[in-house]
Amino acid sequence: MSDYLVNLGTKPSARKLVGMLGMPLPQKLRRAKGPWQERPLADRTIAVGHGSDGALADLLAGALTAAGADCFVAGDDAVLPVYVEHGTAHGRRPTPLDPTDRPDGFRPHGLIFDGTGLTHPEQLAQAWAFFQPLTRGLRKSGRALVIARPPGLDDVAAAATSRGLEGFARSLARELGRKGSTAQLVFVEAGAEDRLAPLVRFLLTERPAFVSGQPITVSGQVAAPARVPTTRPLDGKVAIVTGAAHGIGAAEARLLAQEGARVIVMDRPSEDEHAGRVADAIGGTPLLVDITDDDAPDAIAAMLDERFDGRLDVLVHNAGVTRDKMLFNMKQEHWDMVLDVNLLAVMRVNERLLPRMGAGGRVVLTSSIGGIAGNNGQCNYAASKAGIIGLTQALAPAQAARGVAVNAVAPGFVETRMTARMPAATREVARRISSLSQGALPQDIAEVVTFLASPGAAGLCGNVIRVCGGNLMGA
Amino acid sequence: MSNTPTRAVIVGGVRTPFVRSFGRFTKLDTIQLGVAAVQGLLRRFPIEWSELDSLLWGGVVLPSTAANIGREIVIEAGLPRTVEASTVTRACTSSLYSVTQAAALIERGEAEVVIAGGGDSCSNAAITMPPSLIHKAGPVVMNRKSGPADYLKLLASLHPSKDLLPRQPAVRERSTGELMGESAESMAQRHGIAREDQDAMALRSHQRAAAAIESGRFADEIVPVELREGKRVSADDLVRGDTSLDKLAKLRPAFAKDGTLTAGNSSALTDGAAAVLLMSEAKARALGFTDLVAFRSWSYDGVDPADQLLIGPAISMPRAVQRAGLTLDDIDLVDIHEAFAAQVLCVLAMLANDRFAQQHVGAEQALGAIDPETINVLGGSIALGHPFAATGARIVTTMASELVRADKATALLGICAAGGLSGAAVLERV
Repeated sequence: MSDYLVNLGTKPSARKLVGMLGMPLPQKLRRAKGPWQERPLADRTIAVGHGSDGALADLLAGALTAAGADCFVAGDDAVLPVYVEHGTAHGRRPTPLDPTDRPDGFRPHGLIFDGTGLTHPEQLAQAWAFFQPLTRGLRKSGRALVIARPPGLDDVAAAATSRGLEGFARSLARELGRKGSTAQLVFVEAGAEDRLAPLVRFLLTERPAFVSGQPITVSGQVAAPARVPTTRPLDGKVAIVTGAAHGIGAAEARLLAQEGARVIVMDRPSEDEHAGRVADAIGGTPLLVDITDDDAPDAIAAMLDERFDGRLDVLVHNAGVTRDKMLFNMKQEHWDMVLDVNLLAVMRVNERLLPRMGAGGRVVLTSSIGGIAGNNGQCNYAASKAGIIGLTQALAPAQAARGVAVNAVAPGFVETRMTARMPAATREVARRISSLSQGALPQDIAEVVTFLASPGAAGLCGNVIRVCGGNLMGA
Repeated sequence: MSNTPTRAVIVGGVRTPFVRSFGRFTKLDTIQLGVAAVQGLLRRFPIEWSELDSLLWGGVVLPSTAANIGREIVIEAGLPRTVEASTVTRACTSSLYSVTQAAALIERGEAEVVIAGGGDSCSNAAITMPPSLIHKAGPVVMNRKSGPADYLKLLASLHPSKDLLPRQPAVRERSTGELMGESAESMAQRHGIAREDQDAMALRSHQRAAAAIESGRFADEIVPVELREGKRVSADDLVRGDTSLDKLAKLRPAFAKDGTLTAGNSSALTDGAAAVLLMSEAKARALGFTDLVAFRSWSYDGVDPADQLLIGPAISMPRAVQRAGLTLDDIDLVDIHEAFAAQVLCVLAMLANDRFAQQHVGAEQALGAIDPETINVLGGSIALGHPFAATGARIVTTMASELVRADKATALLGICAAGGLSGAAVLERV
């Protein structure tokens, strides 16, 4: 499960040699170690630009300086005092920045552009003017972030501007990939600005290492918690991860537990040894039930009642299978099994368990890039995973009123037991077609799931976040 | 127990002279310095020794052979062996902590008469051998069955530099690896504290301390220490009344190239001890003591050492004032431990910052603006020196007597400490 090109790329001489041949080696990604930190951006340089009205200055200044970042602020003079005020209280006084006349050796860890004030495509040039001089100096595993208003239907010019920023961010993501850096676009709805800070903080850390070129929408649908913890966000919460004996599910269980959750490690009875090992390592509780059994939802409910006073805060649907066959070879059993595990069982569990989740509840579903783009030999799998997207988008607004946030992750190629068994050539293509030119590690998916499970994810409702390294496939 | 709560009062305090480390106190360890302070205290405030219940002693650089130095001081000072004793180690707040703990003991009714204080001898910091040597040699040396062959095998296994080179004691944060001065330097940069302002504070500290010494203001507080060779030390030796901004400006940065912290605007390694006598108010009155002072409140807090190591007093001081039910307007004297002038100036800036108060103190409004010129009226640690665990008791002693002498009502004390710790207290006249 190790990527020989990523390993080769860690050796400077090999990097140089292969680079001279015109085929840059993938950059080994910087990943987070240990639990969430109070100041994850301590000693990191973040350049901030505000287009037009600088509406988000107060919010970004507060979020960035609280996270420990050293801000370099571009744009009009009205914005700087806001950063001075917040920065002083955190011992993080800002430095004014002229992107075209940077201090010597200016190597930022992150670039943020607030484009929420842009209402006409002519103003898109402001994004160009901010990023153009700065991207070359962005450090490896750096972060670029564009914030915009979601494209609406009322104002033609504003809609064109918003989509323009999205296209800009997606292309920037492709360009930054070879250095292990990523770019995202955050659409923040008017009135939902107060939910933006936890997402911005998360996106600037190493944690979303494999999320790139993604539009993420922040809305006001889900009630925000009174207090958003920055460390141990899941303290005391009860979480279930299905399919948690191996790979992505095991990583999710581990990270949720690391942030304080009491995790139920669920998998099939035949996985008792591995599920037990995961549960033992994280102080979780194993639950050995086949998710497709008719009485699986009841078995979960019974365990919650027995061990956790009926409480459930976080539900992570991770269990999934593939039975890849070209459609003309696909037997009904292949179809039925994939649809049952990946989609129908999810619906049955939701029906039984969602009513017991209260305000602050979080549901994370697992789609796949195959469900977005389609794939050879995966009519069954793509149907189930695209079904998850539909399910997520319809379920989210219905649950939002209760304070439960429903979102999904859509992994791209992940280095797991399952993909290690793929034909070598197919696996190689799958790795290299992402902007980061490598596969994800299970941890990369788990980091995003952990964020979506946290109180700070209240601004996200019905998002399907691809964790695909900026894969060329799909929209 | 009666229904009227017992109030603990400070009868008074003393300290040894504060002497630059590796100077005249080099041959006195922290226990001997403590004995000198405690014996001096009991000469200054004569009570029957049988009245003593407890001794709480602060120490930072503790001897590994007798870690409970409090108990050793009781024995070596010749106090009744029935005086129970403990040792408090809480970095530079150690003896503020021991003194407030003594007040708590009295107010809980567990004791009536308590000596609390602390001291340190940096000159006698233990130089330790590498743990790898202990791990290799231990099993052989501790095993009675070990023979010459075992010892030879042990000798052969030792690596000259890895196993045999003694470890240098350093004032580094275990969690960050930073020297305290490096942390203070980064705070100065983060808050934009100018070198000139730091030097000005250092100059004031020296001038005020020198003036106090000159006027005899400390005469009642400093007890002479007998050296072994029959000589005695009766005066501080770090205060430089003749320093000037020019002299201070010439000093080179001590912790960073292009830095602003120098030996002149930082406190120096110092040997010394300080002791405070506390009693229940009833006992003090019964014994005829007057000019009493009490703690109205205190607060101990912690911040992340990796962020702003020494900013804690900006949290503890407002909390102590709030717990006292007072506002800054009610405070007559402010005394802040000067680990570094830069750190004091950072703390003062944050004491006036509403946003800091909201995010770190949990108060809507900041404590308020305090003019740096108005604090530390008798000088501070930069001039007087800073034996880590003596400083808290030194400040309590001086502020308690200053409230009486200047006829003021309240004093606010603040101390920063290693590990991101801090402490503050409000003193009031009784």
